Amino acid sequence: MLSVSLAGIKLENPLMLASGILDQNGYTMKRILEKGAGAAVTKSIGKEPRSGYVPPIVSVIEGGLINAVGLSNPGIRNISGEIKIAKESNKPVIGSIFGATPDEFLSLAASMQDFGVDAVELNLSCPHVKGVGTEVGSDPSLVKEIVKTLKGSLRIPVFSKLSPNVNSVLEIANAAIDSDGLVLINTVKGMAIDVYARRPVLSNGFGGLSGPAIRPVGIRYVYEVKKELDPLIIGVGGIENGIHAIEYFMAGASAVQIGTALMKYGCQIFSNISREIGEFMKAEGFQELDQMVGAGIL
Amino acid sequence: MIHSKITEKIRETPSTCTLKFEWDAAVLPGQFIMIWIPGYGEIPMSISDTGNPKAITVKAYGPPSARLQELGVNDKLFFRGPYGVPFTEVKERKLIIGSGSGMACLMPLVDSKSTVMISAKKASELLYRGKINAENVIYITDDGSEGTRGFPDTVLRDFDTKEFHMVYVCGPEAMMYKVLGILSARQNRAEFSLERSMKCGIGICDSCSIDGIQLCRDGPVIGIERLKNSIEFGRSKLDHSGKRIRVEI
Ligand SMILES: Cc1cc2nc3c(=O)[nH]c(=O)nc-3n(C[C@H](O)[C@H](O)[C@H](O)COP(=O)(O)OP(=O)(O)OC[C@H]3O[C@@H](n4cnc5c(N)ncnc54)[C@H](O)[C@@H]3O)c2cc1C
Ligand SMILES: Cc1cc2nc3c(=O)[nH]c(=O)nc-3n(C[C@H](O)[C@H](O)[C@H](O)COP(=O)(O)O)c2cc1C
Ligand code: FES
Repeated sequence: MLSVSLAGIKLENPLMLASGILDQNGYTMKRILEKGAGAAVTKSIGKEPRSGYVPPIVSVIEGGLINAVGLSNPGIRNISGEIKIAKESNKPVIGSIFGATPDEFLSLAASMQDFGVDAVELNLSCPHVKGVGTEVGSDPSLVKEIVKTLKGSLRIPVFSKLSPNVNSVLEIANAAIDSDGLVLINTVKGMAIDVYARRPVLSNGFGGLSGPAIRPVGIRYVYEVKKELDPLIIGVGGIENGIHAIEYFMAGASAVQIGTALMKYGCQIFSNISREIGEFMKAEGFQELDQMVGAGIL
Repeated sequence: MIHSKITEKIRETPSTCTLKFEWDAAVLPGQFIMIWIPGYGEIPMSISDTGNPKAITVKAYGPPSARLQELGVNDKLFFRGPYGVPFTEVKERKLIIGSGSGMACLMPLVDSKSTVMISAKKASELLYRGKINAENVIYITDDGSEGTRGFPDTVLRDFDTKEFHMVYVCGPEAMMYKVLGILSARQNRAEFSLERSMKCGIGICDSCSIDGIQLCRDGPVIGIERLKNSIEFGRSKLDHSGKRIRVEI
């Protein structure tokens, strides 16, 4: 009842581990997949190793958390071993990548494909590192070119992850429309100041807000993009239970990703949400997940 | 973020000092805090005295811990926690094995039924020297400048552990790995406090993970049975970037 096919990738349930949360070490991804996630997205990987920002990299607030991890990653040449370990779960692993140019994205994506990932997710949306992420993802012509370059050369599906921190999400979604799917949304730019220390908590100053506080923002963009452009959408932002996931389905998402909620609920959250979705479908008379997708759009 | 003030500063060794501060939270032996040194970083520190005032015992390595040592009485402390799974406490006789700053997290377990093996490179680096109120204290130094010359594992090899209901271990991974090897062949219950780089402290960044579990949340205290089957302990870990590197044993 919960299985879903995304651009040809079969998932036993529509719940994916979001990029950047517990997905750096292959053994962690493997465990989360074995505990019930339908697929896992790796941490965003670039060309060279990056240590990321010095802690504090997170600040917990009511309604979620603000992070500026700084895209720490081991570099593309050091990630294949972790992917191999994660794939021992026999579940789909999606490789998230970030870069500055179409060529850079292509070389990263081709390596990911060689490492055996089931799809790539383009991080066009990290809010806190200069020259990549949102800085690339807010330029419609660059986004279009990146997607075109990758679609022309890869065998595996390409998903584009978009930022809410742009003038028009719809314009960027349109630029990325040739992707096999859009992932909405990345974190919302934010900041926290400790009044006793009289300075921002995060070493980077500002960061990205995630968790329940951003769910209405995510729902709104999924709804708007689905209604206007009708692409395949993977919804992400603030999901903590089955009802939240269903809200995303009804706004137009075919699958969802979960990140920050792992802080509160641990990796049990995937099997719990699967159960809750199943119970809802039974009670409300849905046979297939597909019947719920976009069911809330007027 | 919780904030408090340093009420007392005690120099323990040339590289280590204890900072005491008021904090009326329930903290159990083995738990830790993430302590923020504004402008320098945020690092995990065990609570070395779980009473009130509480204490941390800091060894200077890089900029954050070195800066923490420069603070004095009345300076502010910023932290969050307590985090982590504590040690399982037992009423019977216990053996405590601590090396270097690893002794800090074991200190709250020490009582009159404890035998404590404490080791350091040389006599001047022995933490809490002369301050441990236990049934028996065995000092071990690499150079023999105090107590037995050698390492905890060399001493443990010829030491009868049958009478101890629990063995608690914390120190460099190479030491813990060797101790695990020795205890694996015996019947002792044992718990180890492990260390990996900790960036978030709340179970989301994956920097502290070992065998799929997060030490900041499901550790840092791990039981011997789980550790015996570990794939990563004593073998590999991820550096700050996430690159897999070998653990030197
Ligand atoms: C659970 C636990 C309890 C501990 N308890 C104690 C204790 O009681 N007493 C004690 O002395 N020690 C303790 N430690 C060890 C202590 O936390 C480390 O010694 C300390 O983190 C080292 O700090 P440092 O000053 O060398 O800082 P650094 O090593 O410079 O940095 C500290 C942390 O910042 C991050 N970091 C540093 N540089 C970078 C970079 N370039 N990019 C991204 N991130 C970076 C890493 O997460 C690193 O661990 C404990 C460790 C753990 C895991
Ligand atoms: C600590 C942390 C690190 C993240 N790192 C990445 C990343 O590397 N790449 C990426 O595309 N998104 C990253 N994100 C964003 C998440 O994948 C997700 O889009 C966002 O957190 C909203 O979902 P949530 O509310 O379920 O966490 C990160 C989020 C958090 C909290
Ligand atoms: S320190 Fe981030 S998961 Fe443990």
